[in-house]
Amino acid sequence: MKVALIGNQNSGKTTLFNLLTGNNQKIGNWPGVTIEKKEGRIRSTDFDIIDLPGVYSLTPYTIEEAITRNYLFEEDVDLILNILDSTNLERSLYLTTQLLELDIPVLVALNMSDIALQRGIKIDYKYLEEKLDTTLIPISALKKTGVFDLIQVIKQGSYRKNNYEHIYDHDLEKCLNTLEKELTHKHKRYIAIKLLEEDHAYDEYHQNGSKNLVNSLCENYQRDMEQVIVDERYRYIEFIRDEAIQSNKDHMTVTDKLDRIILNKYLAIPIFVLIMFTVYYLAAGPFGSMTVDFVDKYVSSFGVWMFDTLTNLGASEWSRSLVVDGIIAGAGAMLNFIPQLAILFLLISFLESTGYMSRIAFFLDRVFQKVGLSGKSLIPFIIGSGCSVPAIMSARTIHDETEKKMTIMLTPFVPCSAKLPIITLFAGYFFGDYSGIVSASLYFFAVIVIITSAFIMKQLLFRGKASSFILELPNYKLPHFGFMFKDVGDKVFAFIKQAGSIILLASIGVWFLLSFSFSLEYGVPADQSMLAQIGNVFSWVLYPFLGELSWEATVSAMQGLVAKEQVVASMAIIAGYSEEVSDGIFIFNSQAFSFFTPASAYAFMVFNLFSAPCFGAIGAMRRELGTTKRMWKAVFFQTGIAWVIATIVYQFLHIFEVVL
Amino acid sequence: MVKKIKHKKNDLAVLADLSIGQKAKVVKLNTIDKALRRRLLDMGITEGVQIKVKRIAPLGDPYDIELRGYELCLRKKDLMLIDVEVM
Repeated sequence: MKVALIGNQNSGKTTLFNLLTGNNQKIGNWPGVTIEKKEGRIRSTDFDIIDLPGVYSLTPYTIEEAITRNYLFEEDVDLILNILDSTNLERSLYLTTQLLELDIPVLVALNMSDIALQRGIKIDYKYLEEKLDTTLIPISALKKTGVFDLIQVIKQGSYRKNNYEHIYDHDLEKCLNTLEKELTHKHKRYIAIKLLEEDHAYDEYHQNGSKNLVNSLCENYQRDMEQVIVDERYRYIEFIRDEAIQSNKDHMTVTDKLDRIILNKYLAIPIFVLIMFTVYYLAAGPFGSMTVDFVDKYVSSFGVWMFDTLTNLGASEWSRSLVVDGIIAGAGAMLNFIPQLAILFLLISFLESTGYMSRIAFFLDRVFQKVGLSGKSLIPFIIGSGCSVPAIMSARTIHDETEKKMTIMLTPFVPCSAKLPIITLFAGYFFGDYSGIVSASLYFFAVIVIITSAFIMKQLLFRGKASSFILELPNYKLPHFGFMFKDVGDKVFAFIKQAGSIILLASIGVWFLLSFSFSLEYGVPADQSMLAQIGNVFSWVLYPFLGELSWEATVSAMQGLVAKEQVVASMAIIAGYSEEVSDGIFIFNSQAFSFFTPASAYAFMVFNLFSAPCFGAIGAMRRELGTTKRMWKAVFFQTGIAWVIATIVYQFLHIFEVVL
Repeated sequence: MVKKIKHKKNDLAVLADLSIGQKAKVVKLNTIDKALRRRLLDMGITEGVQIKVKRIAPLGDPYDIELRGYELCLRKKDLMLIDVEVM
C-alpha cells in the first residue's frame, strides 16, 4: 500500500514522516524544505509512505509543487495522509477541499493541536469530521502525541472512505455532474472542475459535449470561472470555520511579540548583521580556527606515530610514504576541520528551524529585487555556507525563471563549508592575529561579488520584467534539539565519509602522480613527477595572481574540482613529500609553498572561493539549470570572475608589499 | 516624495495604499498574470476577504499582510492591483 503525505508548506510533514518511519529527513521552519519526494516505510507495517513537497493548492506555482501534483496523478496512491496546521486551519482546509475531489481516500491529521489549544483555539473535531466526511486525528508531531493512533488507523484501514459532500452552489453542482458523466478517466470530479476553470493543462480530457457545457456555463456566470470556484471553496470553508472553530481573536502571540523586535523598522537589519557575524565568528573566525589547531595536534602526532610504527614493522619505504604522506597527510588533514564544521552546521540548522530564514527573505527582498534577485534567493545563499548542493536545489522554491537561474549560478560564490579549510589555513598562517578579520572580509567579499554579478547578469543576460514575491511568514518555533543534533550528526558523518572516500582516493592519486614520473620510476624528485608535468602546463594561468609559476599551487587549485577541501589535502601531500619526513603539516615552510606572500595568499583564497565549484555542485547546477550548455556558461562565468578578481586583488596588494 | 494619503473608512483604495495596522475588504483582483492571479486566489485573497497590513519591510517593500489567520508577504507592485474598501 502506498500512502502519500500531503500538506501545506511548513505544516510539519517531514517531522511527521520521520516519526512514522523512524527515519531522519531534513526539517526546517521555512516554506519548501522538502524539495524532492522521499520514501519510507511506516513503522511496524509494510506500507510505503512518500513525503512530497508542500503545496498550497493542486494548481502548482513552482516546479517543486508540480512534483506533488504529478505524483498524485501518475502513481497509484492508495491513501492520502493530509496534514493540516491546526493554528492555520482556514487556509490549510483549502487544499483539503481539492484533495477530497480526487478518487483517493483522504485521512486528515490535525498537526500542532497542542499549540492551537495553548492559543485558545477550540476545534470541534466531530463537526469537522462530519462536514468533510473523512476521519480526522489530532496530533502533535513535535510532542509525538496522537501518532500512535494515526498508525493504528492507517494499519487497520479504519478511516472513512469518504463520499465527499458537495460544496458548490446548485447550478455549478449540476453542471459538474453533467460534465463528470462525459468523462471516462479517474478523478472525474477534479478534472471536471479543471475543465470548468479552463486550465489548459487538462484540455486533452475534453469530450464532445463538455466544451459546449463549459462555454454555456461561463456565459451564465459572466465571471472568471477560476475565481468562482476558489470563491465557492473558501465560502464553504468559512462556513465550516464559523461552526467548528472558536478562538479568542486579538490574542497577541509569541510570534507577534518577537516580530516587534526582530522585524522592527530600525532593528531588523542590525539584528541580522549581528546574527550573521556571530555565526561566522564562531564557525570561520577565531573560535573556529582554535578548534582546528586543537585537533591538528592529535592528527600530526598520529602521523608521526604511524610512521614510527610502520618503520618498526619493517614496512617498505614506498608503503610508508603512501600511508603517511598520502593518506594521513591528505584525508587525515580533513579531520582537523570537523569541530569547526559541526559548529557551522549546528548554527545553520538552528537558523533554519526557528523561522528566521523566511523573515530574512522578507526584509531583505527589496535589496535583492534591485539586482534582479528575490528575497528568497537568500535561503539558498545561507544554506550554501554549509554546502552548495542542497542550496542549489532549494532554489526550486523560486517561481520566476530568471531569478531562479541567477540564484543557482550565484550560490556557489558563497564560501561553503569545504572552502572553510582553505580560508582557515591561509588566513591563520599569513594574517595571524588578524585572521578573524581576514576571513570575515572574504564573506563580505562574497556578498559584494554576488550583488555585482547579479547586477551585471541582469543587464547583460536576463533583461526581464519585475517579478512577484509570495512568501508565507511561519510562526516562530523552538527548534527540536533532538532532530537538530541528528541533522548536524548526519552532515558531519557525510563529511567524514567524503574524506574517507573521495578525498582518500584523490589523495592516493595525488601521491601516485607525485611519486612517479611518466616513465613510472618511483622516488623521482618532485619536480620531475607526473604531477609537476601536468601542473607546469597550466601554471601560467595562475601566474597573474600568484606572482610565481607554481605547479604545486596549480594542481592543488585544480583539485578543488573534486572537492574544495582537496585543495588543502593536496597542498599537505605536496608539502609533506618534499620534506622527506612528514612531521605535521608545515605547508608554508615547505619549499613548494614558501613563495606565498600575504598578497598572493589572499588572491589564491579569492580564486579558490569564487572559481568553478566542485563536481558535486556542478552536477547540481546541471540538473537545476536544465541544460549542459547553461552549466558550462555558469562554470566559465564563475571561473572568469574568480580569475579577474584574484588578479586585481593581487596586483593591488602587491603594490603595498613592494613599497613597504 | 509624495505623502501618503491616510484613507478613511469606506474609502475605495488599493491594498498598497493602506498604512500599517489598517484593515480592508477586498473588492477586486486586477492581477493580469494568470499564474500569479491563480496563486493569489489560492492563498485566500478572494473578493470580500478581510486583510490587515501588518507591517512593511524596513526598506519600504514588501508588505506583510494578515488574512485568514496567517501572514503573507507580497511586493508592493502586486498589491497595487488589489482594489479594497477600507474598514
